[in-house]
Amino acid sequence: MKVRILAFLSIFCFLALSISGCMSSAKPQGYSGVTSHDGILYLGSVDGKIMAVNPSARNQGLSFPSSNGEWSLPITTPSKSILSCGSSSTPVSIYGTPVAVGDLICIGTYSGKVLMINPSARNQDLPFPHMRSGEWIYPRTDDTIGPIVGSPVVVNDTICVCSSDGRVYALDITYGDEKWISAPLGDKLWTTPVVKEETVYVSTFDGHIYALSAKNGDLLSWVFEAATGFVSSPVLYEDTVFVGALDRKLYAVKIGDNKPLWEFLGDNWFWAAPVVDDGIVYAGCLDGKVYALNTERGKELWQFDAGGRIVSSPILVGDSLVVVTEPGNVFVVNLKTGSGEGIKNTDDSQKGKPLIDARIQSSFCALDSIVYIRAQDNCLYSVDVAKRELKLKFPLA
Amino acid sequence: MADLWSLIILDPMINGMLALSSVLPRETQFGLAIIILTVVVRLLSTPLVLRQLKSTKAMQDMQPKLQEMQKKYGKNKQKLQQEMMKVYKEAGVNPVGCMWPMLVQFPIWIALYQSIMKALATTPENLLDLSRHLYAWETVNQAIPVNNHFLWLNLGQPDHTMILAILVGGTMWLQQKMTTAPSIDPKQQSTSKMMLFMMPLMFGMFTLMFPSGLPLFWLASNVIGIATQYFVTGGWGYLKPPSSAHSLLVRGR
Repeated sequence: MKVRILAFLSIFCFLALSISGCMSSAKPQGYSGVTSHDGILYLGSVDGKIMAVNPSARNQGLSFPSSNGEWSLPITTPSKSILSCGSSSTPVSIYGTPVAVGDLICIGTYSGKVLMINPSARNQDLPFPHMRSGEWIYPRTDDTIGPIVGSPVVVNDTICVCSSDGRVYALDITYGDEKWISAPLGDKLWTTPVVKEETVYVSTFDGHIYALSAKNGDLLSWVFEAATGFVSSPVLYEDTVFVGALDRKLYAVKIGDNKPLWEFLGDNWFWAAPVVDDGIVYAGCLDGKVYALNTERGKELWQFDAGGRIVSSPILVGDSLVVVTEPGNVFVVNLKTGSGEGIKNTDDSQKGKPLIDARIQSSFCALDSIVYIRAQDNCLYSVDVAKRELKLKFPLA
Repeated sequence: MADLWSLIILDPMINGMLALSSVLPRETQFGLAIIILTVVVRLLSTPLVLRQLKSTKAMQDMQPKLQEMQKKYGKNKQKLQQEMMKVYKEAGVNPVGCMWPMLVQFPIWIALYQSIMKALATTPENLLDLSRHLYAWETVNQAIPVNNHFLWLNLGQPDHTMILAILVGGTMWLQQKMTTAPSIDPKQQSTSKMMLFMMPLMFGMFTLMFPSGLPLFWLASNVIGIATQYFVTGGWGYLKPPSSAHSLLVRGR
């Protein structure tokens, strides 16, 4: 009997550990990107804070938040666990990148809220949302829309955001009032919509690109349907939408056409939204390569092997393309030749390790030649791509 | 080690499940794939299960004899052990033999529920992680994202209606009840009783916490387990004591 009980207990512990492993992996962590506005960096942290960081104050080593435009706003959500007793709240997960709307900052959270934040009110530490400062939360009540993964986009006086409930929400910039809600477009929308003139374009997991009227959210007549779902956010260049799909292809779709202009096959998904400049698409792939393709015909101009999955969209800095891999390596790639140089760790104790010793899944930005990257270790890193060196590591917790 | 686990067990299971779901009707796609794969895994492990059931039954049949020995040699532990081993040897039963088939099956079950969780890809990180495990098969890539809806369930969300929790807990209790022999020893009886209720209760609670895809797999597994027990041991086993169980005990004496 003892043997049986021991066996039972050991098996149960094994099962419990495995289950808890599954549970922790299922918990959304968030990978909010960094954006810059007026010399200040805005981002969401892993522990659910929206933060304003002044690079100059960080370089001076001032305590955070300094009086130089820095603040942090913790966003929490009531705990929904059936096993928790009493009232408790947990930090939200943030996936989208904050967007500057005039002097304000807008972002969506995984808890299903859209927030408009006034940096000036945050500097004064006023209660959030401070309506007189133009701040708002949508929905205003305890209700939520589906989890928001993509970033908001601005169309005239409207904010558009995609939600996991499969709808696009259009909100008034000034008060956060609902202007329209689209019909359900798919199972869940985890992407950032793209806007051209008065039309909002949305790609879905079930393989559609929808065109919506920015005025009232009505579906326009053109719909593109692919055999497989789209995984990356769409990018619009001239009249063509570029988007990565689950069949490992990058699609170029001319607006109004029913067939793709071209398709390009990678060795894994094109998860990151591509970058398009001067007739060339630069697409980072989970196969660890960046492909430069001609926008007209999809002809491969060059490819650069970064040696690690590319989850974050590359960015253009001067005449170079900055590529960051998920394992934490940073490369500066020549736009014309496709030859790249990895930025190495100058610290002897870190030799052989990636430049940033943490996973990188979020979008990053550049101020002059300095690239700012938020990693999954909840730190903000700055990398000088001109000098090819890691400048700063700033813990966000 | 993690890479080896993925390469040999997890990846084939995830891709198999997705390939299977791509040929099923879209409305019930993933729910049916979970059930079918559970049945397939159960069928593949039938020889092990049969061995385990036979060993368990043999052990249960020997219980009255062993209890008698305990009474007889209760104070002399060494003698008791020797006599017990002798009885085991005579009956051709290995006392831990009923556990090995169970332990061998365990990694398969863990891989199965890991693949369910991964294929469901309930968060963006999960979807990103899923890309590591997929083969370059067109059918697999076209099956993503899987349809989370099955009957009243959203397989990516916990079922708060309690229906699934009751079904999981109920079937687990039933399966255990069918195999747990009533004991004469009051101590053993209370332990068995506790086990009989603890596991279903815990799994019922887990059902309320986990995405429904996982409890659906538990439910399918329990139902198949009950059916196997029914047909292998020939009936409802110890579900209908006291007469049948008692007769078993008496027969053992």
